[in-house]
Amino acid sequence: MASGYDRALSVFSPDGHVFQVEYALEAVKRGTCAVGVKGKDIVVLGCEKRSAMKLQDTRITPSKIGLIDTHVCLAFAGLNADARILIDKARLEAQSHRLTVEDPVTIEYITKYVAGVQQRYTQSGGVRPFGISTLIIGFDKGETEPKLYQTEPSGIYSAWKANAIGRSSKTVREFLERNHKDDMDREATISLTVKSLLEVVQTGAKNIEIAIMAPGKTIEMLPAEQIEQYVKTIEAEKQEEQAKKKPGRGGPAGAASLPSRPVTEQEGSTGV
Amino acid sequence: MSRRYDSRTTIFSPEGRLYQVEYALEAISHAGTALGVLATDGIVLAAERKVTSKLLEQDTSAEKLYILNDNMICAVAGMTADANILINYARQAAQRYLITYNEDIPCEQLVRRLCDLKQGYTQHGGLRPFGVSFIYAGWDPQRQFQLYQSNPSGNYGGWKATSVGANNASAQSLMKQDYKEDCNLKEACSLAVKILSKTMDSTKLSSEKIEFATVGRTKDGTIYHHIWSGKEIDALLKEEGLAKEEEESG
Amino acid sequence: MEVLLGITGKDFVIVAASKAAMRGASILKSNDDKTRPLNKHNLLAFSGEAGDTIQFTEYIQANIALYSMRNETDLGPSAVASFIRSELAKSLRSRKPYNVNLLLGGVDPISREPSLYWLDYLASSAKLPYAAHGYAQYYCLSILDKHHHPDISFDQGMRILRMCTDELQRRLPIDFKGMTVKVVKKDGIQEVEYDTSKQVLSA
Repeated sequence: MASGYDRALSVFSPDGHVFQVEYALEAVKRGTCAVGVKGKDIVVLGCEKRSAMKLQDTRITPSKIGLIDTHVCLAFAGLNADARILIDKARLEAQSHRLTVEDPVTIEYITKYVAGVQQRYTQSGGVRPFGISTLIIGFDKGETEPKLYQTEPSGIYSAWKANAIGRSSKTVREFLERNHKDDMDREATISLTVKSLLEVVQTGAKNIEIAIMAPGKTIEMLPAEQIEQYVKTIEAEKQEEQAKKKPGRGGPAGAASLPSRPVTEQEGSTGV
Repeated sequence: MSRRYDSRTTIFSPEGRLYQVEYALEAISHAGTALGVLATDGIVLAAERKVTSKLLEQDTSAEKLYILNDNMICAVAGMTADANILINYARQAAQRYLITYNEDIPCEQLVRRLCDLKQGYTQHGGLRPFGVSFIYAGWDPQRQFQLYQSNPSGNYGGWKATSVGANNASAQSLMKQDYKEDCNLKEACSLAVKILSKTMDSTKLSSEKIEFATVGRTKDGTIYHHIWSGKEIDALLKEEGLAKEEEESG
Repeated sequence: MEVLLGITGKDFVIVAASKAAMRGASILKSNDDKTRPLNKHNLLAFSGEAGDTIQFTEYIQANIALYSMRNETDLGPSAVASFIRSELAKSLRSRKPYNVNLLLGGVDPISREPSLYWLDYLASSAKLPYAAHGYAQYYCLSILDKHHHPDISFDQGMRILRMCTDELQRRLPIDFKGMTVKVVKKDGIQEVEYDTSKQVLSA
């Protein structure tokens, strides 16, 4: 069906697909999950961390969450090496912007820039698209309204209240659609982020990374012990709920394990 | 089935994979083993050297271990010709940093420079990726002794003990079993030769078949790196009881 | 007649710059800040050709900030000084070199050691315990020679600075409108209140 129309990049197939871009989205879906959630005056990024092998040195292994400028933070899903290049370009643009207009970038501006670079790689000769989607969060200078954007390999960008990218992102997004409320406080926002990640991360706190942004402040990485704390409270809540649901049977012992969803790999285009 | 997506590197397969990169990884898994072990007071790198002919001059120059700059060395697995290009690039990058900042480039930055170049070859211009994996050992004031590994995709990570090349899986599982967090450089050296002796075809080793290098700290606190001579390797092998018997070889 | 002064001590570097912005014989502004923070514990003070100073230091500032973002770590004072020196050397051999003189005060993020670098538009760079640019050199270096000691406390440092500015007020033919004084310590850069309203009479 593809017959040749996926070999070169800047070529449409007769039915209007640009295959390489669609395949790049597959690379995104193979990446670990990342979640972004906006609260009232806070925005949180959560990432699934590949479980570190015993001999891996976690101290010096790069993270999936990167700081673009002191007030902008980015998480990605997809090819790690591609992300490094894209993040580097964004960092350069952020400082160059400060130098030329004497103001830090707005979150929308830097999102547009990142998406623009991604778009260019879908239309230039001899290159493949970036195999990553990104979530960009932060606060514009002097503002208290949180921002959350997503970019995709095609170069599309969009603003969200809460969203997920990467492996099983559809499951997580559906969870967020059900549970997201406007004007959440810090606790509720972090808790929702952790909860949504637990939908796909079965191994709990040690495989979760959380970054928090607040107005006028730079990134705050939540320490592992605190993530653990959130996971514990969430698990306890879940058990309570389960116990309530089936009062006659089993008792609390029966609900010891986390309710886990089947991991669905397939999903429609995440395009908007 | 995969034929259509592997002829050019810059192309995603329908599953979102990059076959050329995966094939490069495959090529490396047949190369001679190289490994690195992080100790509290240093790092050891070791590699298997394939002796193809008796007529090959056994000169002192290492073919799998290279010095990158004053505080970093690396081990290579894969295509040596590709490695030479990358090592040259790394050495230049390290010197460029030295000339602008008047201090040695931090280890991770050098690894990243190299990996950014590798990544470029998986994304641009119909070129094939570099067919080499590296293990890097280095020291910098901020993070002390560090061990990294990188592969053709341009990914890298930090490790306490790691290996690449043939028998990689068995080497890794041996490390998982025997590695101790608080080992010193001497213990790390003996772990390295033990693993090599088990993963290589022959049980008895000699300095002709392996290469060895260490990064450590001298008594007065300065950092040194040292690629071992044949004699030093033989002495270590003897100590560990892994040396080839004199009579046997004679 | 711009004044730049720098004094190191046990665990700090004081960087001071005159507040007058001048053009020829006129003072255009009396609250000019001739310093720029480069990262958490590196501060640059500059004097020289008006446009050049801002253009050059902003360029340096952006590059040091870019380094911090890219590498998730800050450069130490010695590396910053080398970088600035190499940029000045590049500029010196270009068609239109920057006319900028600089003092860099900083504390090393790892060793916590304070240091002060003196750089000029000819791309000289020197690590010094105390330093001055411009006419201040003529009046202050002798005072600093006499009173400075590597182990002085912050208060002692401020006392020596006062001696220097008193002498400058006494000797310089024009009013330099007081000093912006900043101090770099291990936990960052801080501005210090500094009053020069008291009249200092000439001998």
